[in-house]
Amino acid sequence: MELFTYLLLSGLTTGSLYALIALGIVVVNKSTGMINFAHGELFMFSGFVAWMLHVQMGMGYLPSFAIAVAVGFLLGAVTNLIAARPMRNADVVGLVLATIGLAFVFRGAARVIWGGKGDYLSFPPITSPDPVTIAGIMVIPQQIAVLAGAIVIMLVFAAFFRLTRAGKMMQATADNAKASRLVGIRIDRIYMLSFGTGAAIAAAAAVLMAPLTLLYPDMGFSFFIKGFAAAVLGGLTSLPGAVLGGFCIGVIEALAGGYISSSFMEVSAFIVIMFVLVLRPTGLLSFGKLRQV
Amino acid sequence: MATGQGVKGAAIGLLMTVAAMQAVQAQVPGVTADTIRIGSFGALTGPGYLYGKLPMNGIEVVFDQVNAAGGINGRKLQLVREDDRCDPAAAIGAVKKLVSEDNVFALIGGGCSNATFAAREALDQAKIPLIVMASVHDGITTPVAPAIFSTALTSTIESQAQLEYALAQNAKRIAVVSMRDAWGRARYTPLMEAFKKKNIKPVADEEMAPDANDATAQVLRLKAANADAVLIVLYPKPAAIFMRDAQKLGFKPLAIGQSGIADPAAFEDQVGSPGATTQFRTISMVRYTPEDPAVDKWRKAIEAKFPGDRLSVFNLFGIGSAEVMVEGLKRAGKDLTRDGLVAALDKLTDFQTDVYGAGITCTTGDHRCNKAPVWIAKEPGKPVRVLGVTKVE
Repeated sequence: MELFTYLLLSGLTTGSLYALIALGIVVVNKSTGMINFAHGELFMFSGFVAWMLHVQMGMGYLPSFAIAVAVGFLLGAVTNLIAARPMRNADVVGLVLATIGLAFVFRGAARVIWGGKGDYLSFPPITSPDPVTIAGIMVIPQQIAVLAGAIVIMLVFAAFFRLTRAGKMMQATADNAKASRLVGIRIDRIYMLSFGTGAAIAAAAAVLMAPLTLLYPDMGFSFFIKGFAAAVLGGLTSLPGAVLGGFCIGVIEALAGGYISSSFMEVSAFIVIMFVLVLRPTGLLSFGKLRQV
Repeated sequence: MATGQGVKGAAIGLLMTVAAMQAVQAQVPGVTADTIRIGSFGALTGPGYLYGKLPMNGIEVVFDQVNAAGGINGRKLQLVREDDRCDPAAAIGAVKKLVSEDNVFALIGGGCSNATFAAREALDQAKIPLIVMASVHDGITTPVAPAIFSTALTSTIESQAQLEYALAQNAKRIAVVSMRDAWGRARYTPLMEAFKKKNIKPVADEEMAPDANDATAQVLRLKAANADAVLIVLYPKPAAIFMRDAQKLGFKPLAIGQSGIADPAAFEDQVGSPGATTQFRTISMVRYTPEDPAVDKWRKAIEAKFPGDRLSVFNLFGIGSAEVMVEGLKRAGKDLTRDGLVAALDKLTDFQTDVYGAGITCTTGDHRCNKAPVWIAKEPGKPVRVLGVTKVE
């Protein structure tokens, strides 16, 4: 039971990060129908911005967090402006290549700006680094902080999506872009808002994650792959599905590593995804659109 | 009259000889009457810069000192740098550019193993002498390439040393945690062979991904196997995660790293959990820590040449390999050719540098010239200290 509890906690912590990344991917895809392949690099870049503010410039954790999220939003909006908007009428390959190209630009910029500061940059924990015992389980307080932070961000985002005017317009555009345009919603602004919001969520995930792991310019892609897998598992257009997908992948990885083999960790989640998609091609929480005739 | 004609003839002969010598010299790429151009490739940007830019800075200060003392046989050394970003394709491009466009005479380079290994074919084709400064991939020096020498340790040598060290510390239940990408395989395979040779079976054999963010599963499995020593075949990032989670779960075996984690002070920061690295030892290619008074000369040189930089072990990698190159160039003589340099390096026996764990010995049949891994450790709040040297046969 102790083994299971440790593995479950570690899976939930890692899964919460995957969930946040998946959430960002789904926000963009739901509103614009595009996958932002630069999402991982936006995540990485925002993490470095927070590191620069917090570690290099000595700013507090919360202001660093807020500024990094704002920078993430701006970078997302820029991604829309230079990679997505001009390619809106292009074919899928063109759209994919545009965001992949931008991903390389962000990675190159990070290498130039932060690449010579250390091989892997550490971000000081916001809690005590000493493990604590909770109900007989040894936990690093930072893990709890990450899990709690991720849940708060998800709730804030859910509230934004359901309760604010901008969030409702994003939902309307996601449901039917043409009808939204007809009722006066400025679709281009909504697309920009979606890219910005998706990147801001990625930025929040990066700043939460930074003290648990280490920062390096090539980190974005591996997180993107896990987040993308979580989004696919959840259904690519379902926000609760993205969250569920992220937690599922984190927990499956941890349990497979602990109970089967550590060599099985990386592939275990993808095997499960394969089965889920065979049995339910729309993902766990996505439902095909019903058409009344 | 006859004497006058004799003097004229002698003068013409002398002029022709000088002209002929200059013509021959002109055919040697990268060598002029007063300069020798040496190329270097490695990562100048990105996380791999530790194994590229910093050793190159070390090479440069050695060259500066040689030049200040008049150069080698009257020729000053010039260093030309190329960034391979630790990328195999970029490393091939960098080698080709240094050879074809920059016309360098020889190379000291190779930071990231996979990138240098990828460039081996281009190096073989160019037949340009290379001294490897930091890459440890066995395939770079095995099978022997006539013009490629390594003053870096190799992955096989390090893997053997890891097991030797665990046994020397009386470890009874030895486990392994490794990455299984190309870098990890290059170390993991010889490590398993070393286990087999000793007729020992690891009590646990766990895998971690290079970008893992959690090692709870691996630590719990190693703990369940009751391992008293863990051989760590990981990059600093997953290794830091492993050590942090080991501390969290109260698992404190003897943790034995390799030169992929060459800076225990930086590693302690990366782990970020107080006391987690107390039992951690790792391999250094050099026998001194940057704080050691024995390398004061080089510390001053680095700090003077690169204001803001502090001497690091990675600088020392470059300093050692540059010292070997300088010795090779001296021994190759005034009529410098690439073949002459290769022949000179082939005969180096127990050549003492300012940095390596033992003398450098190269033979025609074995260009792995450094076989003396140095063990280093850092206790919390104390400087990095050298524990000893394992000489691998």
